[in-house]
Amino acid sequence: MGGRVASHLVARRQVLAGLAATSLGAGCSRPVRDAKGRIRLRIWYTLGGRNRETFLEIVRRFQERNDDVSVEPVYQGDYFESLAKLRTAIAAKSAPALSHVVAEVVPYLARARTLTALDAYPGMREIPFVRGIGQEGAFRGGGDLPLYAVPLNRSTPLMYCNGELFAKAGLAPPRTWQEVVEHARALTRPGGERWGHEVPISWWFWVALVGQAGGSVFDEAGRPTLGGEAGVAALRLWQDMVHRERVMRPPPGRDYDAWNVTNQDFLGGRAAFIWTSTAYIRYLEDNARFPVVAAPLPKLARASVPTGGTFFVVVEQAPEAEKIAAARFLTFFCEPENATYLSMRTGYLPITEPAVAKMRADGFFAKHPNDDVAQAQLASVDAWPWEPMLFRIERDIVDPRLESAVLLDRDARAVLAEARALSERPG
Amino acid sequence: MRARSKVHPWLMLGPSLLAWSLFVFVPLGLAAYNSLFSWDMLTEPVWVSGANYGAIAEGGELGRILGRTLFFSALVVAGSMALGLGLALLLDRPGRFFGFVRGAIFSAYVVSWVAVALLWVLLLDPDRGLAAAVLRALSLPRIGFLSDPAAALPTLAAVTVWKITGYAMVVFLAGLRAVPPSLHEAAALDGADALARFRYVTWPLLRPTAAFVATTSLIVSFQAFDVVRIMTQGGPARATTLFVYAIYEQIFMNLSVGRASALSVVYFVVLCVLAALQLGAWRSQRTTRGT
Repeated sequence: MGGRVASHLVARRQVLAGLAATSLGAGCSRPVRDAKGRIRLRIWYTLGGRNRETFLEIVRRFQERNDDVSVEPVYQGDYFESLAKLRTAIAAKSAPALSHVVAEVVPYLARARTLTALDAYPGMREIPFVRGIGQEGAFRGGGDLPLYAVPLNRSTPLMYCNGELFAKAGLAPPRTWQEVVEHARALTRPGGERWGHEVPISWWFWVALVGQAGGSVFDEAGRPTLGGEAGVAALRLWQDMVHRERVMRPPPGRDYDAWNVTNQDFLGGRAAFIWTSTAYIRYLEDNARFPVVAAPLPKLARASVPTGGTFFVVVEQAPEAEKIAAARFLTFFCEPENATYLSMRTGYLPITEPAVAKMRADGFFAKHPNDDVAQAQLASVDAWPWEPMLFRIERDIVDPRLESAVLLDRDARAVLAEARALSERPG
Repeated sequence: MRARSKVHPWLMLGPSLLAWSLFVFVPLGLAAYNSLFSWDMLTEPVWVSGANYGAIAEGGELGRILGRTLFFSALVVAGSMALGLGLALLLDRPGRFFGFVRGAIFSAYVVSWVAVALLWVLLLDPDRGLAAAVLRALSLPRIGFLSDPAAALPTLAAVTVWKITGYAMVVFLAGLRAVPPSLHEAAALDGADALARFRYVTWPLLRPTAAFVATTSLIVSFQAFDVVRIMTQGGPARATTLFVYAIYEQIFMNLSVGRASALSVVYFVVLCVLAALQLGAWRSQRTTRGT
């Protein structure tokens, strides 16, 4: 009896030890290959609707031509949800090899040594990215750094006008801040029936205004100035249009909820001209019951737009075989056929020079003048600083203050002074 | 009953203590520890002592979050109790019709928060929502239920009350059924009208039930997250940034583990104070009633 108990205990110990070893093993490594021996390439993506369909079609094409790789694309919510998950997964050492992140967070992730430098992977350094939207032109000094980021869906802010309303009023898209106010005044109908202008109260559009007023949110040394007087002028333009002129509606909601409201108000004829992303060109054109006329953002001292959207990044801690597969996918993604496919189907900017040339040669820009406007506006791109704190300053400090300053009509100078003080020592 | 061995009580308590330690005490201790660092989960933590507490208190932000959360809780607790009790008194009647109405009201409680929040976002849309149509029909001015900083928090409280009132009603109904009819009959014979019978018979016997409803409503209101995340994302102008959402925002949106941990520690202290106050109130009630 005693012997049976002892052997039972030994057996149980062995089982427990085996289980512990298995779980430890699972925690330390993950299967690089699937049951068929193909390299598993997990991709986390955040695209919805037509953007998702287009992206998944490119994944399908890659899969079709690369039977030694098994691509596993996983949808992870919006940009910020996905970033939170990616960061947590990196900390837990379970991140996918390939993901895409908003441009402003790339310097932070690179500083944290979580991104793979892609220079050594075949073909990566030779990809002829469009300067303004690749790492080289999107970040100051981006060309001198290792290649961490490959553009996926890149965009700039763009103005969209309701062609019917503008024609009836005999107006052309506004080219200056003064015309923005005047046109919004002319196109507003009382009682909230129609707003002249609508734009999400967000860092991205404010940065565009700061640049147009001749400022820059970071100085050449990378210190957060938040535009100085230009920043104040940008914020006051919004405050005046909302509270004094009453010709602009700040859409409710935060992040992409506000962006969706702006689009819906435009499509519903409740906003005469809006600022949103070039990414919505196709969506707005396809769903509007009036001609959609895109125009470059207006000037004050100069023309200026920031870039937005996301970059692909390869996670440093991923197994080398997965990283190689990821680099192969990226070079495939950047081939002219795929880059043009994404751009033509969505409105995101074509990411490589050959893709732009192909679209021009095929007559795409002649047939789609709104896309041509977006393309021409690339000449006004202002690069982001390669500043690890950029993202936290945007999300934690500036964005919430912009919203409260506009909605509650707080003193613009005081709000930005407070934000600047906090930006100099973000926690 | 005496334990046969000193070890036995600990053996009985062991599983619970282990679970509590693993899922409450250890995480709480870790949060308190992390609150002393500036840490983003990816780079090395940097010791900052109490700077995270200073940062969240700076400019009165912590006070505003706390004030908002308490105001929201007060609206939710008062609203759900008043409505729950009113509906219970109104619907405590036999018959299929009343049964159906009770069921309909309670159904909101079993629907997920996400569905409820999305439903109300549509109903409160300032242009296309039902609420806007009603305001227009009555020639009343537009109200930005979710876009006006003054209206957003009461609106979220109203949605929360709408969701949990069915539960409060059911608990109050159970409490009402436990009141002996003979007491009402005796009071009626003594000439007490309906209001007097409620005041001197029903309400004193419903007090424990009311305390239970108040406690559960308070818990729900302090845990409010889904409704904020879906309906307002803490806006407009941070008017609906409640405690739990502020913690979420710090760690997941702003990448600041230290500040989120500091907020969690403060939140824990606030809940401890509230629990102590509630316990004190119950004890004094029991002493007053001599039970």
